[in-house]
Amino acid sequence: MIQKKNGKETLIDIFLIIIITALIGTLLIVMCGAKPLAAYSLFFHGIFGNISSFSEIFVKACPLILTGLGCAVAFRTGFFNIGAEGQFYVGAMVTTMAALKLTMVPGILRMVLALLAGFLAGGLWALIAAVFKAKFNISEIIVTIMLNYIAINFLGYAVRSFLMDPEGNVPQSAKIDPSVQLTTLIKSTRFHTGILIAVGCVLLVWFLMEKTTIGYELRAVGINQRASACTGISVMKNIVFSAFLSGGLAALAGGIEVLAIQKKLLEGISAGCGYTAVLIALVAFNNPLGVLATAVLYATMQVGASSMQRQLGVPSAIVNILMGVVVILILGKEVFHMRGRRRILTDQKGEK
Amino acid sequence: MLSEILTIGFLTAFLSATVRLAIPLIYGGLGETIAEKSGILNIGMEGVMLSGAFFSFGGAWFSNNLFVGLLCGMLGGLAVSLLHGFLSIFLAKDQSVSGLALNMFMLGVTGFLYKLMSTGQDYQQIDTFQTMPIPVLSKIPLIGEAFFNRDILTYMLYALLILTWLFYKKTNYGLSFAAIGEHPRAAASAGIPVHKYQWIAMIFNGILGGIGGAYLVLVQLGVFTENMISGRGYIALATVILGRYTPFGMFGAAILFGAANALQIRLQTIGIAVSPFLLGILPYAITLIAMIGSIGKNTKPEALSEPYIKGAR
Repeated sequence: MIQKKNGKETLIDIFLIIIITALIGTLLIVMCGAKPLAAYSLFFHGIFGNISSFSEIFVKACPLILTGLGCAVAFRTGFFNIGAEGQFYVGAMVTTMAALKLTMVPGILRMVLALLAGFLAGGLWALIAAVFKAKFNISEIIVTIMLNYIAINFLGYAVRSFLMDPEGNVPQSAKIDPSVQLTTLIKSTRFHTGILIAVGCVLLVWFLMEKTTIGYELRAVGINQRASACTGISVMKNIVFSAFLSGGLAALAGGIEVLAIQKKLLEGISAGCGYTAVLIALVAFNNPLGVLATAVLYATMQVGASSMQRQLGVPSAIVNILMGVVVILILGKEVFHMRGRRRILTDQKGEK
Repeated sequence: MLSEILTIGFLTAFLSATVRLAIPLIYGGLGETIAEKSGILNIGMEGVMLSGAFFSFGGAWFSNNLFVGLLCGMLGGLAVSLLHGFLSIFLAKDQSVSGLALNMFMLGVTGFLYKLMSTGQDYQQIDTFQTMPIPVLSKIPLIGEAFFNRDILTYMLYALLILTWLFYKKTNYGLSFAAIGEHPRAAASAGIPVHKYQWIAMIFNGILGGIGGAYLVLVQLGVFTENMISGRGYIALATVILGRYTPFGMFGAAILFGAANALQIRLQTIGIAVSPFLLGILPYAITLIAMIGSIGKNTKPEALSEPYIKGAR
């Protein structure tokens, strides 16, 4: 998807996308009957108001970074994993189970084990879709979405039965022992160790994808399966590997959310981040470092928008609309240059 | 337990629920079948249906007329499909990316507009289409109630299914509309206007998907809620694959999914001692298993989701 064109045109594209998105955002705020200037001032106050609200950006960004990273890895290999949502829940469930039940293992070690178990389970969950694709040639988009609903329903069952807090009667798990929780790094905020893990994963995946043979093969399969097969790269092996890694990363996001933020398992814990992740990966052109930047930007908008929602009643769904607008504009950006359709398509022919 | 299930009362209610749950999927699936046969994969069916649901609700709410609502729903679905057509036919972009982006976009747009619309009121209900039993047919035991004691949109769907089947089986145009999904370049050299036909297919895709979403509002629920399609668009995509890209195959697949869902609901109503959440897994698991069963003969249109660029090789 990345098109190497002259830099000037790319700059114009980025500039126009930002302007149009901002204009649509303003229009939406006006539609809600709010004054744009007041809304924007609240927006920025919500973000930079104090250290606690500023650190909220990274708290919100953490699951988005990991799930977005998972999507990016899969998309790069041509595996359209829309299942980050379900993999997130599988990870959250298995991590909770390990953290609650492995009482013979002490503190930090149990935490690491729980996160690893979650990663493994999420990876295996995603593998189901990879097998459907590799063995039966069934669209992974549909399979991963079915798997999402299965995982969400199973979580609903889990928090009402074998994982339910024996002392309460609400559908949630018991509280996780403080020694197993991920620690908060800055006092009076929710900035936690998991954020560092997420950034570490970004760097690792970036290195893997860009600097190693494994990454080269993954990318090659994503660009042209047939050519890869002809040069002796196993398409199936690479799709299976990227699905596993992708599912594992999304599951890690779930595990961290449990151990650092909620400190227990409950329904709706992902807040839809598995679906947002798809857009984040697309906007970032599936580049790991781009995912980091996009996720932080998205989280910033979310924090600002929820401050607008609290004070002015402007629905924070605005952020979702704007994200969709950005992807559509990236896809349709050739229209800016008024070069006519013939030229657009000739350019694409050249790329093929 | 079996004795409770094998009663006429249970089976009639079960079949009726099956058809009721399947209708929106069949509308969406029919639209998607037409699009995919012409080579355009619209993952955005979820967004098309959501748009249809929201705008039909808005139209019916403000005009107090169900047919205006239906028209608005069709136009709402159409708008999303045309946007997809613009990106995937006109600009020849990746169809999966475009569809996914449209789903997210419509989720935001409909949620936002609904919040604007419903300020101050928590709950808005509109009247729904009444059922119109067909004289003799609706008295057939078991299936009469399920298939022939329905509303106008369901009857229209039966006609559309037969027409679509006839169109692809019996007409030259039908052959052309299938050829552009198999080998667009060959079709073009035979004088078929590939892009024009793909646009027409997208128009049907949008209108039918829009009705599918509108059906939930105008017939079944009478209300709109955020994200109310909740995956039905994706399931419609699955029914197309399961049905091997034929209208009646897709119909069968949608009925299967409807049945799995209805069974789950009926079992809960008779108070079976299994968690409703475990039963909730049933429809999705059955769809997955059925998809494994359906493999074998490859019926997928050869050029599905490959953009056709005139003169490219």
